[in-house]
Amino acid sequence: MKKTIFPIITILAIVLLIFLPYFIGAYLLHVLMTIFIYMTLALSWDMMLRTGQLSFGVAGFFGVGAYASIITCSRFGFNPLVSILFAGFFVALIALGLGFAVLKLRDIYFSVTTLAITMVFSVIIRNMPRLTGGASGKVIPNVIFNGDSTKTYWLILSLALITILISEVFNRTKIHFAINSIRNDEIIARSSGINIFGYLLFVFLISSVLQGMAGAIYTQQYRFVSPETTFSLDFLLLPMAMALVGGIYSTWGSVIGALVLGFASEYLKLFMPYGHLIIYGIMIVLIILFLPKGIYGTTKDKIITHKIEKKSLSE
Amino acid sequence: MLNLEKTNKSLKKTLIAFIIFLIVVGIWKPLALVYGIQRGGLYSLIGLPLALILGIVGILNLAHGDFLTLGLYIGYIFFNSWSIDPLISMAPLFFILFGLGMVIYSILIKRVLKAEHLNQLLLTFGISMIIIELIKIIWTTRPRSVYTSYASSVTLGNMSIGMYEFIYPAMAIAVLVILQLFLKKTRLGQAASAVGQNPKGAEIVGINTNVVYLVVFSIAFGIIGVAASVMLPRTPVFPLSGNPYTLKSFALVAMAGLGNLNGILIGGITLGVAEAIVQSIPGYEGWSDVVFFGILIAVILLNAYRRPES
Repeated sequence: MKKTIFPIITILAIVLLIFLPYFIGAYLLHVLMTIFIYMTLALSWDMMLRTGQLSFGVAGFFGVGAYASIITCSRFGFNPLVSILFAGFFVALIALGLGFAVLKLRDIYFSVTTLAITMVFSVIIRNMPRLTGGASGKVIPNVIFNGDSTKTYWLILSLALITILISEVFNRTKIHFAINSIRNDEIIARSSGINIFGYLLFVFLISSVLQGMAGAIYTQQYRFVSPETTFSLDFLLLPMAMALVGGIYSTWGSVIGALVLGFASEYLKLFMPYGHLIIYGIMIVLIILFLPKGIYGTTKDKIITHKIEKKSLSE
Repeated sequence: MLNLEKTNKSLKKTLIAFIIFLIVVGIWKPLALVYGIQRGGLYSLIGLPLALILGIVGILNLAHGDFLTLGLYIGYIFFNSWSIDPLISMAPLFFILFGLGMVIYSILIKRVLKAEHLNQLLLTFGISMIIIELIKIIWTTRPRSVYTSYASSVTLGNMSIGMYEFIYPAMAIAVLVILQLFLKKTRLGQAASAVGQNPKGAEIVGINTNVVYLVVFSIAFGIIGVAASVMLPRTPVFPLSGNPYTLKSFALVAMAGLGNLNGILIGGITLGVAEAIVQSIPGYEGWSDVVFFGILIAVILLNAYRRPES
């Protein structure tokens, strides 16, 4: 029974999400768009984490995608949609090159190197003022779709849905076993004939492209880039907190986390214009200390143990 | 003991290379050398506590720079409310951050000592965020500064050199010497070195690792307090003023290797001088940050490829 219900619910939810702009106000739509962008980042970060590699490079690829899109738009007159695709392609090229270097690293060395690479990106962009506008940033004349928020929403929604789809594919095909075994024990993974580097590069590439495209869409929406705001560590910290709160190593964890924290911080903004982001830091610390599996992981565990108990009782 | 001789030899080689490097720069760009030594001293002073925590407690503290910011703000309060000179408030700052380190260790760090590295990194990242946002809530983002009469530049001929900044390398050396004395001569220090080398072995021979971790963590925080008060007269204070030092300090540790405190000083001054050279080339001032990150990435990659894959 469960097998037939699940696709129906999914299709209903997608249809509901598509027609949502006709029912809700502009403000809520805007909040949802932001949440979907962060959801994409959170999920793509989590995809990399499932291989056991903690990447701090989210903000870097986000920013590179944003700049690639803006520059092709303003300099070479690309159509915004084409420029977003180009941004994805450009980030893929960079991630491919970097992947060969950094994916041999493990543990804190991988994390810190990706963080340093983010910094290097922002320094390079700040020092190429002719192309990138330097420290003051760059503005393009037109917002994507001439500011039609319904179309923008659909664009962002489709990116989020594609990300969810990819994440589910990763979780339901044999890739899942390969990635899990790499995370758990690389020696065993290698002796089972898994091409560790190949899988890492594949996941790294896909997650970076998603991050780059998220950055491209985000800036097309606001038509503005600057090294400070585009490479802001918020684009790393918020997605991380979302994935952690929801539950890492799962698709729905990041989705739930993004919704919970996205709405919570939007609500907090009303009371605390300064420093409402502290909620993210507190959440990260509390979750790490007390609920390492996150909301989704913990509830799922509870349900499973409940079922097992029930079964053993009835027997 | 055999090993020790070998490290002594390699240390001598590094030292000679280091001195030659300094002399060459001194002839080529004397001003860059002076600036570089001053700044490198500061980098080493800030890098030492990170190295201490990473080497002995085994935790990479990503909130390192933000505790430095916190120290700067506390020093600013001392100056602003009670007009206590930053160099005098060094002592209270040491103890305040020492206490803070104790609290942070006992409440938070202690719980993740045995957890995965991932969790440890994320925890300190979360702490970093809390501190930044807390500072924004309490003091807003308005930059503040402390003015002292002695921390101004001296003009020599046609170039101006800040004399005060020579305190950075001096303090770095002083802290390094005291730390080395502590680690080599006191019982607790010897225990700390033992724990740093092999925590399980240290536990087996009866060292209370928990106490060692607590003390080392707190001392490292105390040093952060000292660094904050030393740099206060010449540093603008704002919520992110310490933040870049986290990565820079880690770059130093990655360069020097774990447990090599002397290497921090050599590496810090080398990087400081390299940065000053890049900054002295007209038109390329903005690229100086790449020096640090570039070297960090290069060193990590080199180490990774030099290690045989196993």
